[in-house]
Amino acid sequence: MIVCPNCQHKEMTGAVFCSECGAQLVDMNLATHKIHTAETRREIESGTATISPPPAVLQSWISLHIMESGQILPLADRTEFTLGRVAESQPIVPDVDLTPFNAYANGVSRLHAALKLIKNRIVLVDLGSSNGTYLNGTRLAPYVETPVSHGDVIYLGKLKLQLLIGQQ
Amino acid sequence: MPPKQNFYQCLGVPRSASPDEIRRAYFEAARRLHPDKNVAPGETEFFLDVQEAYEVLSNPVKRASYDATLPPDKPTASLVKQNILYSRKSLVNIPEAQLVYVLFEYTPNIEGDAPAAPPLNLCLLLDRSTSMQGENMDMVKATAIQVMRKLRAQDTFSVVIFSDRAEVLIPASRNQELNKLEARIQMLQPSGGTEMFPALDAGYHEVSRNLNRSQVNHLIMLTDGRTYGDEQKCLDLAQKASENGIGISALGIGHEWNDQFLDDLASRTGGSCMYVATSHDIQRVLLEKFNRLGRAFAEDARMTFTLKEGVELRYAFRLQPEAGLLPTQSPISLGPIIRDSSLKVLMEFSSKLESGHSESVILLEGNLAVTIPTSPTPGTPISLVLSRPITDDVTPMPPPPEIMDALSRLTLYRLQDQARLEVTKGDYNRASEHLQQLATHLLAQGERGLARTVLLEAERLHQQQAFSEEGNKVIKYGTRALLMAGDEKVKP
Repeated sequence: MIVCPNCQHKEMTGAVFCSECGAQLVDMNLATHKIHTAETRREIESGTATISPPPAVLQSWISLHIMESGQILPLADRTEFTLGRVAESQPIVPDVDLTPFNAYANGVSRLHAALKLIKNRIVLVDLGSSNGTYLNGTRLAPYVETPVSHGDVIYLGKLKLQLLIGQQ
Repeated sequence: MPPKQNFYQCLGVPRSASPDEIRRAYFEAARRLHPDKNVAPGETEFFLDVQEAYEVLSNPVKRASYDATLPPDKPTASLVKQNILYSRKSLVNIPEAQLVYVLFEYTPNIEGDAPAAPPLNLCLLLDRSTSMQGENMDMVKATAIQVMRKLRAQDTFSVVIFSDRAEVLIPASRNQELNKLEARIQMLQPSGGTEMFPALDAGYHEVSRNLNRSQVNHLIMLTDGRTYGDEQKCLDLAQKASENGIGISALGIGHEWNDQFLDDLASRTGGSCMYVATSHDIQRVLLEKFNRLGRAFAEDARMTFTLKEGVELRYAFRLQPEAGLLPTQSPISLGPIIRDSSLKVLMEFSSKLESGHSESVILLEGNLAVTIPTSPTPGTPISLVLSRPITDDVTPMPPPPEIMDALSRLTLYRLQDQARLEVTKGDYNRASEHLQQLATHLLAQGERGLARTVLLEAERLHQQQAFSEEGNKVIKYGTRALLMAGDEKVKP
């Protein structure tokens, strides 16, 4: 028997998604992480390791590299994305929900920050978050647009993300 | 010159076939290949081979001595590649029932040049009831004519029009005079109600006149209405069509048609049911369907199986090439295998382990038989055994990414299905909650338009305690289309 952490619905052993609320019941991060480190180690040992971050996925102008788990979220089709986490019975929904990456435990606000593409410039804006947005270690003043570039590391509260900016 | 087939391949039965199976395969082949019925070159020779094969295999003594001359049986059929993924490496040794998901993938095993596209034996069933008046009727006519112009010399084509009566507008034949037929379609005037059985029956007869397993036999019904009272007759006919290798697909136009009924009808034959909201999409969807029929490698993949004790097949869904719910009773028509793609089916099994520890458990045993139009003698069915080891280790293992991906999208489809079920039970609050959950997931995936429709329906359920016909279909076929996103590679 599995109990869904989101809605407490009981599911049979072996269920992968909750049939009641659709929440994922199996933790995928762990396995992804293992593969990631193994590959890196092999690269380092063979001397082929490269310092540059992984290339951004095509057709998206920016990707978020979740540094803790190694996952990459490509963002595409629109020129503005709000980052945050979905909370129950909350009408405001961010474009990018960081709940799967322990957003709550890391102090991410529901509407934490936004990334905007303005002509060829990409800016980061803090949306008045409780725990602040940090760009390469410096805390941003709320509601002020700050330009960002490829490889910049940002913190939403304690959640660490790297920005991978597309080449097109 | 291909290597000569052995007698088992000739009849399309496995080496372990019972005398009864051999007899049935022979009758089936004889019916199909008899010289009186067939004029296609080469098929008389096939018939003689079948005859010879049956004479040997039906006699136990001759069969035994023939078996001794054969090389060991190759376990996998050479025509279709089978790949099976499980959601779990093993089952846990617990007394309660547990779930395991299985993803089947079947890909054509084409070496060298792809065989020529099979001929079509197609019948269009056009709804001409009064409600079709206007743009829908015009678009249906235009599309039917377009389909006709795309026919090749070897294709057989017929058209049945129906309202409360059915009429064969174009009888099944090849190489027809396009101008005359186009004029006949153009003259079509809408009138009357909608009754589907007479239409299906007429279409079935048209296709049966040239029925032959070396072509793709298919009925496509275009309708905007619902039939009353003859649903069961229609479903029985679909069953018969399926047994004879005829597929049925449906295209529902607008909001008034009965999606549950047409889904059921199509799924019995391995066909598909499609939805278009407005007349503008009729042409695109029907032509896509037409192209898919022409790209069929195997016309019908049919899974025959028996479940072991304590095992239940709870859900079966075809993810690709056309997403659709499948029946859960053996035999299941999985539908066609397209030459440049694969057939993917996901099944959910529950298994209750018997007490007493054993090393592993068998869930299912059976086989998959395919009918390949370009190769008149069917190949040996692929044998199929699903089994899992049993462990005491309860640590959950993440399923393979293919299964995760399919399940994450299938879960959304099932959420709306559940909401629909709850509405029919009168549990509007629960249905509304499920829709809200669905909307949250859709938003997270960037499906804003669909999410908005879902939220509107959730609101509506609260106030009026019913789905709108439109929202109902948009949600059902919208979440179903998510399953196809990125998988379906339609070539121009």
